[in-house]
Amino acid sequence: MNCEVCQLKELEVEHFEIREVLRCILHTIVFHRALGLVRPKVIDLELFDITYVQCGDGELEKKIDEKIEQFISWVEKHPNKKSQVCISFYEVKNKHPSWFTNKTERLYWEQWYINLNVSQQQKVHSGKSHPSKIVVDPGGNSLEERSARRAALETSLREVLFQIIKFVNEKKDHVPPISDGVVYFPYEVTIPRWILSLIHEI
Amino acid sequence: MASSHGNSTHSESAKTEQIITEFFAKSLHIILECRSPFMSSRNFSGEQALSSPSSSSSSSSSVRPRDKWFNLALGECPAALENLDLWRQSNFEPVVVDVILVKRGLSRTQSLKESGNAYSSDHEEVFSGSEEKIIERWIVQYDTRKPREKGSTSRRTSSNVLHTLYKKSILLLRSLYATVRLLPAYKIFRDLNCSGKLRPFTLTHRLLSFVEPFTRKEESEMQRFSFTPVDTSSGRLCLSVLYHSSVSDASSESSTPMSPQFIPDYVGSPLADPLKRFTSLPVSSPSSLPFSRRHSWSYDRYRASPPAYFSPSPTHSEPPAANALRFGPVNLPPQHPDSSSVHKTNYSYDEYYPSPNFTPSPSPSPPVYMHGNHLSNAALLRTESAPVCIPKLNLHPSLPMNDNSRPSRGSKLDTSTGLPNTGVSVEKVFFVKDDSKKHYGTKISTVNSSQFSISRSSSRSFLDDFDDSDFPCHFDVEDDDPMYHGSRPESFDKRSHIGDQMDPQAGGTFPIKKSQDAAVGALVHMLKKAPPLRQELSTSTVDSTHVSSIRAEHPPDTSSSVLVASKTTADALEELQGFKLMKDCLLSQGGGTCNVAAGIWK
Repeated sequence: MNCEVCQLKELEVEHFEIREVLRCILHTIVFHRALGLVRPKVIDLELFDITYVQCGDGELEKKIDEKIEQFISWVEKHPNKKSQVCISFYEVKNKHPSWFTNKTERLYWEQWYINLNVSQQQKVHSGKSHPSKIVVDPGGNSLEERSARRAALETSLREVLFQIIKFVNEKKDHVPPISDGVVYFPYEVTIPRWILSLIHEI
Repeated sequence: MASSHGNSTHSESAKTEQIITEFFAKSLHIILECRSPFMSSRNFSGEQALSSPSSSSSSSSSVRPRDKWFNLALGECPAALENLDLWRQSNFEPVVVDVILVKRGLSRTQSLKESGNAYSSDHEEVFSGSEEKIIERWIVQYDTRKPREKGSTSRRTSSNVLHTLYKKSILLLRSLYATVRLLPAYKIFRDLNCSGKLRPFTLTHRLLSFVEPFTRKEESEMQRFSFTPVDTSSGRLCLSVLYHSSVSDASSESSTPMSPQFIPDYVGSPLADPLKRFTSLPVSSPSSLPFSRRHSWSYDRYRASPPAYFSPSPTHSEPPAANALRFGPVNLPPQHPDSSSVHKTNYSYDEYYPSPNFTPSPSPSPPVYMHGNHLSNAALLRTESAPVCIPKLNLHPSLPMNDNSRPSRGSKLDTSTGLPNTGVSVEKVFFVKDDSKKHYGTKISTVNSSQFSISRSSSRSFLDDFDDSDFPCHFDVEDDDPMYHGSRPESFDKRSHIGDQMDPQAGGTFPIKKSQDAAVGALVHMLKKAPPLRQELSTSTVDSTHVSSIRAEHPPDTSSSVLVASKTTADALEELQGFKLMKDCLLSQGGGTCNVAAGIWK
């Protein structure tokens, strides 16, 4: 089984926009990969005029929020860098229990890379931040620029969502069969440049 | 085996058929759920309420069996789809959903039902001038064209085939669910559904089993999005949408927040209340004061340049706090301190910065003269004697005049209205009657012009002293004289000359303190630069008459000190001539009296 990889279009986000953007993208991806019974929940973004769909699962929401917070804290420690969030879907293959291992193997069948370019650093929570990083908006503080940038980000985010939808449509064969009673395929969210993985397994 | 295979294929095809039927139903449910506002309003809200607290495990029990199809529990089915199975003959017929935007005309005759009531699409509304436009067209069809080499390559079991079909249908419907909320028409639906306001437009739909082709022009305006078809054993499930990419003209009220605009005449702004006057506070030191305003429309952030214009419509140095700025050219409201107050308080500033028009400097630390206009000066450094429009005079520096502390002195002079402050102050310098019997005349007469210099600080200081009766003030008159008139420094120049000449006659000396000499000299210097005092003709006439009356009262040969103040140089010249006459008289008559209207002071 091959592993399909989808590189999403890079988004230039500001620090305070990370949460909403990541929630939107991650939930959209998971919604398309939660093939068990779901009651979809529609969420309107606050910062943008975009509506996305969640699986309507509180637990899932909490887990994704945790991962987003980890990403944000990573971004704060590595500012002004292009960063990625990777969500990977895998199958658990039980290896034949041999004498030295009883572990399970993961077969990744799909990986999504969310590319973000966090432009502005606003030290809000981190107390260890360097004072030099407390910045004003770079390149002009006019509201025209900000609203133009915000509109461009909204357009790009919409494009990313359509990118997800098209990918989901075009590539269906690699998706493993649905197990009864299982809602989500096992997945993990990682920040490739920093090894932080949280495993979510049924 | 064969029979089982046959049965399985039969069952497979039957199941496929069932899947396809349910696919149609589900897809239409998804589409109509967010394209017909009034029909599914309850569903919309109901779905939200149901979905939020539930987890997937508990939801399965409460989901109706038919709703579980494709693992997508949507809630109640729209009324329009209840009979869908009936009117559809077969799965081979396409289902076309036209989403129509109806713009209502101005004169509506329809009665809109309140939100929450069911609104069926069959409801006829009589509009006059309504306009219909198809903004979306969804086409769901089962394409039964011969699939490519389906059977030979596939050795999968029927269950696998069905499973794959089902899984792919699920994926397609998931993406449909997300897409239908990303298209532009969703905003209109949400606007209609969620807000209770009446709108001049609405959404309706039409279910057709055939495709009414668009005109070429119409189709050129629309974009197409096609979902990847799901292959079945006997065909393909196809789903596509034609949509208008921009339906912004439909909704008059956008749901997106408006970008902040700068409101130039908000309530409480100086623009809104241009007549509001504020006392301007002069600055004693030419330092850049912090722009901490006391007033409601001020805020500490400085972006724009300080106020540029002194006179009639001075600009505010700061935009109001409530409105963020998104514009390039800053449109600043006028500054509250008006020109009159400026002139009242900043004569000195005028002198040093005679031009009221200066370009605004972008720096937050404006030049000195700006400070007089700022209310950031917390203390009122000077109060004015009369808040009237005072003609521009550069007579003397900004001398603090505390009128309240010397009512006895200033009372007479204050009644001579119309005098400029400087004039008043000068007058007060000379006219004030001091109880402590200062020798006004003696002190001033010997002041030479060169020594008559007043520096700001010293003048201020001596006027401070002037306020205090305990301090000797050289310009105080003696108390026994009802009115003393001080002369202008210009007249001082002349009188000093005369005084020198008259010294032998007067028999007195005119001791003058050196510190006051400097002050007087400065005063002279400024007064020389002053524009002519012709504006106060009325006052000068008053004074001149007063002077003349004084002169009449006090004959020149009396020992009492009389000071004659002439308001104009013309008066001074008159006096000079009078002195000359007197001199001539005395010289000619050898000490005989000469009734000359002139004042002599010791």
